[in-house]
Amino acid sequence: MRDVTEKPPNSALWWGFALALGAMLCNIAFFIQPPAQRSIPWLSLLLAVVALVFVSKGLWQVFAPPRIRRGRILASTVSIFSLLLVAVSVFAFFSARSLPISAGAPQVGQKAPDFTLADTTGQPISLGQLFAPGADGTSPKAVVLIFYRGYW
Amino acid sequence: MAISVDAPEISRDLSKKAGYSFTILSDPNAEVIRRYDLLHVGGGPDGHDIARPAEFLVDSSKVVRWVNFTEDVRVRAKADEMLAAAKGLP
Repeated sequence: MRDVTEKPPNSALWWGFALALGAMLCNIAFFIQPPAQRSIPWLSLLLAVVALVFVSKGLWQVFAPPRIRRGRILASTVSIFSLLLVAVSVFAFFSARSLPISAGAPQVGQKAPDFTLADTTGQPISLGQLFAPGADGTSPKAVVLIFYRGYW
Repeated sequence: MAISVDAPEISRDLSKKAGYSFTILSDPNAEVIRRYDLLHVGGGPDGHDIARPAEFLVDSSKVVRWVNFTEDVRVRAKADEMLAAAKGLP
């Protein structure tokens, strides 16, 4: 009879877990604003998909005959954690991108619609007022309008 | 200059905490956000309508010279791209 302890470790399973962890950690990378920030969502999604492949392989080796790897409880536990990490990463990918198309927003060369809104002291401020001369007497050449989600 | 649906008091706290010196305007009913077609229906944490992230460089004749509509709320506008557009202005 063959000794089960001689079976090598389930490296596919652990690679799957590591990749799922990597997909999750990509979300932290947004806060340090790396230069290739635009590719991070795709990197996260890719890692999550590859993680699934590795975890499936790891599970297969444990459960499918002739069961070339041992540790069914460990494999199941690691797989569940990996799947959770993958699920969070995939959900984050799609929810972060569920944005309106904004086809009617002003484009380059078009006029920015005028508006008047209250500032942080409740004072009404119009777009035109933002071009008023400052303390040094010079008017700004341009203004950056930043629309943000709020709730910070 | 920044615009969100946050109340003036909320923006004041944010501005103070972060040390911002630029103007922050409040659009609680998303009127201007709607006028700019930037309304993200139900996009707020509690299902409120909010603005989708967007940045515009507007010159003194109120013409848009550069825009950025991110596809992912986690991906921010590149400041150097905006500054390059600003430097190109007469």
